[in-house]
Amino acid sequence: MFPSGRRLDRSTALFVTLLAVGFLVATFDVRSSGDSFTTVIRGGAQTLVSPVQQGIDFLIRPVVGFVDGISNVAGLSDQNVRLEAEVRQLEQRLLETSALERRLAELEAINDLAPPEDLATVTARIYSAGASTFDQIRLVNRGSDDGIIVGQAVIDEDGLVGRVDLVTKTSARVRLITDPLVSVGVRVQDTNQTGVTTGRGDELLRLDMFDATQPVREGAVVLTDGSLFPPGIVVGFADETKSADVGFALRTTVDPSAAFSQLDFVKIVVGWSPLDADPEATDPLVNAPSFTDPGSERE
Amino acid sequence: MTNGKVIIALGLVVAAVLIQTTVFQHIRPFGYAPALGLLTVIALARLLEPEQALFVAFTGGFLQDIVGGAPLGLWASTFTIVAFITLKVRDREIAGTPVILLGVFGLTVIGQFTYAILGTLFGQGIINRPGFIGDLLVPALYNVVLAYPIFWLVKVTVRPPERSWAA
Repeated sequence: MFPSGRRLDRSTALFVTLLAVGFLVATFDVRSSGDSFTTVIRGGAQTLVSPVQQGIDFLIRPVVGFVDGISNVAGLSDQNVRLEAEVRQLEQRLLETSALERRLAELEAINDLAPPEDLATVTARIYSAGASTFDQIRLVNRGSDDGIIVGQAVIDEDGLVGRVDLVTKTSARVRLITDPLVSVGVRVQDTNQTGVTTGRGDELLRLDMFDATQPVREGAVVLTDGSLFPPGIVVGFADETKSADVGFALRTTVDPSAAFSQLDFVKIVVGWSPLDADPEATDPLVNAPSFTDPGSERE
Repeated sequence: MTNGKVIIALGLVVAAVLIQTTVFQHIRPFGYAPALGLLTVIALARLLEPEQALFVAFTGGFLQDIVGGAPLGLWASTFTIVAFITLKVRDREIAGTPVILLGVFGLTVIGQFTYAILGTLFGQGIINRPGFIGDLLVPALYNVVLAYPIFWLVKVTVRPPERSWAA
């Protein structure tokens, strides 16, 4: 197989050594946090690599747009028919929406929620995705020079996208809410019950509720509760109607509102910190009865 | 010349990782992208000396760790393992396109699976994801499609054809 037995031994020894180094570095990276040498390495390398990635993205973007345009022309006729049907549906939903808006305003007033559009944001362009199918990250062209810091919420026009988890001077890494490492404190809009969504690595999020006195109905809007992310940002919609299985524990899935495969530009919320959150606003025991049972509030 | 080969090989892996994170952010047929870094490492391990191949694989994997979202060292270890397996089997290759393509498919699946195991051990929760099988198999299929162009490119770049008086 190899020219000599000695060469085989050397390569095997090198293989074992490299593997040991890899495991050591991974262990250190997982166990350390903050300003460890691995963070410095990532930051430094990202600073070097990001201009190249942005250059390649700049070059490839028009080509991809052109190809997309050609493929879209073929489907325009079908799309037109579909859109007409959608318009009719939307007109119907508009009537329902106005009722929901009134309800939302009532909820916001009760919970003292700040609408997300009031928050200061920085618009950023996505220039790179993760290095493999398993990575649920995006790199954006804004960094600490633009006021970006770790932990800030990232949104788009549809809702919550993720949070910043690594920042260099000119770029930042966004971990999507679909990543299993990202959990979001949420509130189901129509029942005001709270829970936590966690990424599953695919298109859906897992929603865990520990004090679910009412079922979650399919299509219910799920919003951030203001614990780690600004309150009132749409996270997604309940994927199915589900009641508590055991006691008050309920587990179901949420369809994220953001279309992660089509992300181009995002907004990073720079004008809000978790320290701004009202601790009572995240306490389900304080908030749940206020909307679901007006009678208890009067008491 | 040997160092030159290693530098060129490293350049190829770096290019593959950069293309993976930029071009295949936009071009994702059916929501999946090929594992270009793995494919390049497999192609290089077929041609380089064992120590060179392992070193290039580890360094390339480390770069992929840096631009990715997982803990440092996971892709480095994965690339090294794939390179080592490729070194073990490369001289046993039975000539023929189907065998080579099957090899690329198998090595890519092994690489992705190894990464999934390591990632799960280090808290990334990869294996229990819904659609995990698709994440393993589809990129491997794409790698099969890209195998010959990448093999050709690597061969031309890393090992120029030998010239003889007869040629």
